[in-house]
Amino acid sequence: MERPIFKPIGSPVEELDTPTVIVDLDILERNISTVASFFKDRKAKLRPRVDLHGCPALAHMQLAASDTVGGVSVATLGQAEAFSGSGINDFSVRGVVVTPQKIARLCALARHAAVTVAVDNPSNVADLSKAAAAAGVQVKVVVAISTKPDRLGVEPGQSAVDLAKAVGDSAGLVFDGFMTIEEKLKVDDVSQLAAESRGWTQRAIDAREAAEAAGVSVNTVSVGGTYNYEIAGATDGVTEIPAGSYALMDAKYRGRRDGLEPAAKIMTTVTSFPEGDKIITDGGNKAVGMDRGNPISVEFPEAKIGLSAEHGNIGLKTPTQKRIKLGDKMWFTPWDMGVTANLYDYMNAVRGGRLEAVWDLPARGRYR
Amino acid sequence: MDNYRPAVGTPIDQLDTPCLLIDMDALDNNYAVVAETYRDTVCKMRQHTKNIKSPRLANMQIQAGGTLNGVCTAKLSEAEVMVEGGIIDVLIPNQIVTRDKIARLAALNRLGDVKVTVDNADNIETISEVAVEQGVVIGVLIEVDTQMNRGGVRSPEHGVVLAKLAMSLPGVKFRGVMSHQSADGWPDADERMRLSKELIGICLEVKDAIEAEGIPVEMVSSGETFSYAAAAQILGVTEVEGGSYALMSNIYGYLDEFQVSNKVLGTIVSTPSPNIGIGDFGMKALSTAAAANATIEGISGVTIEEVQDEHIVLRSDGTEPFVVGQQFMLLPGYQDHMPNRWDQYIGVRKGVVEQVLDIPARGCHH
Repeated sequence: MERPIFKPIGSPVEELDTPTVIVDLDILERNISTVASFFKDRKAKLRPRVDLHGCPALAHMQLAASDTVGGVSVATLGQAEAFSGSGINDFSVRGVVVTPQKIARLCALARHAAVTVAVDNPSNVADLSKAAAAAGVQVKVVVAISTKPDRLGVEPGQSAVDLAKAVGDSAGLVFDGFMTIEEKLKVDDVSQLAAESRGWTQRAIDAREAAEAAGVSVNTVSVGGTYNYEIAGATDGVTEIPAGSYALMDAKYRGRRDGLEPAAKIMTTVTSFPEGDKIITDGGNKAVGMDRGNPISVEFPEAKIGLSAEHGNIGLKTPTQKRIKLGDKMWFTPWDMGVTANLYDYMNAVRGGRLEAVWDLPARGRYR
Repeated sequence: MDNYRPAVGTPIDQLDTPCLLIDMDALDNNYAVVAETYRDTVCKMRQHTKNIKSPRLANMQIQAGGTLNGVCTAKLSEAEVMVEGGIIDVLIPNQIVTRDKIARLAALNRLGDVKVTVDNADNIETISEVAVEQGVVIGVLIEVDTQMNRGGVRSPEHGVVLAKLAMSLPGVKFRGVMSHQSADGWPDADERMRLSKELIGICLEVKDAIEAEGIPVEMVSSGETFSYAAAAQILGVTEVEGGSYALMSNIYGYLDEFQVSNKVLGTIVSTPSPNIGIGDFGMKALSTAAAANATIEGISGVTIEEVQDEHIVLRSDGTEPFVVGQQFMLLPGYQDHMPNRWDQYIGVRKGVVEQVLDIPARGCHH
């Protein structure tokens, strides 16, 4: 468990114990409003993807903005369980649930929340149906459509239609539609991102059309994310976008998404300044995170950032003329905030440079 | 936070996955190797808890032997967890610079002997002021940069200046010198000894320079897992800060007396084609360091094709077809970052749960 020194609400941000996550509420509210205004009066709605922060307080802000489906998207059943304690009662799990232990947990959750889960396998449909019927609950089921061969889901042809029909014929299950379980695209080129996401979206639309041609009605088509919400959200036949990164943002999307700016940063402290071109901080890989890429230094954006497990290392091209003292703060924009949020138990919500709230992250570490 | 506490005796195949296992036989083996290595040496193990984040696991090494009954920790809050776990002798081989953290360090010294490393005169003066205010004495060691290019003095002369300053101030007690090194690749025993002598030698030069000024140097804390055997043979080294050896990692395979004892247990949740299995955990549960050079146990002929955020894509060479619901284990390439993402270890022996071990220093970044 994180053990920071807590400072009173109203404290200047520079006095907070480091390393720590600082969320700028003004930027966060602008990001949420930017995306909400896109979805206003559209057929497709937003389903905030909350596993990227694990924070109920933030999830409620996302849901309070207009034009969501009224529920959230999570990656695991454990995350849904964690959020259900905060009054959220509509979950879509972006994954399949196959073991007896997890199917039992899914049915228990379905007693007090609307739960949607994905399937890609007929025997899993039978297992889910048996458990749901025995528990006397209804579970909403979407058929997972793979983004490419050899990935989670089925092809959008006959096998998708057959699975949809099997779900529709199963006691305890309600066929709801189709979902693609998308990975982050590892490309920087915005036009390439758009092209690839259109391909993924089209696979889900193809599945919808095939199902409807076979007389199966389709309620939900869930595709896309922050990287393409305008494209997917404007596509006929798409009903919901599980986007999440738009709220806190990160270096990966910075400058690539109009109207969205990083709201979350990691504040660290200078612990050693051994040479004029090298600044050592208390935020290493375990506190800043670099699974998907290096963070960007706010003070020295051109610097080479090295993170060992416990130390940050800001390598400057030439010795800095700034006077650096031990105890000075150094800020970083994480490359991927989803990775970084999973390292913390708290986030500091800050407005105008002062602490406004400390948010718990109960869904952190809920991999099960 | 997760709180998964399966009953003692639960068979592994009934565990809810993913979970972070410790193979207790392998852990016992690793602790016995260290106990034996340091049984008759002057130099002792000071286990680094950054890799385990658990005072219970650290106390198991202390009971097995080979240690000086103490540990080192990466951070102040991790040191608090160890003191609360009953370990009194702690070294923080890192810099604590802000006044509020130094006050916490001073408070901890009412319970334990919690030492810290320094590389800066202003920092020593602040530690002295806060310690005097609180009426405690804080042990300090001079950190020496031998290779890592981060904190630490760069010359014996600077070390002497700081040691003299520490000797002159109230509230601080100069205890010795400390350095940390690493080795790349797959070094053999000769290369490990050569590298250890070269790098730890830089730290010993600082010790010699300080002693030449008539200041006694009680502690030389250096060495780590790759050099655990070599450092114990280098005259002057009093303790080794080994961390990785306990849970081990594939990249330390050249130390074949140790066994990988921490493994992620997962389940195949989808088989989109006969030779592809999708597992139920991904990068968030692993870290890039653990995912690189990771291997799979429990299903024959399997390699890792892709590590996604929440799933792992496995490819089979066809030896054993994947089945939905079947379990597998991942052995980490480098485990250090991984326990920092979990809340419990599930300790297993002979196929069943032996104990659930919390990871209370998880997230102790402060």
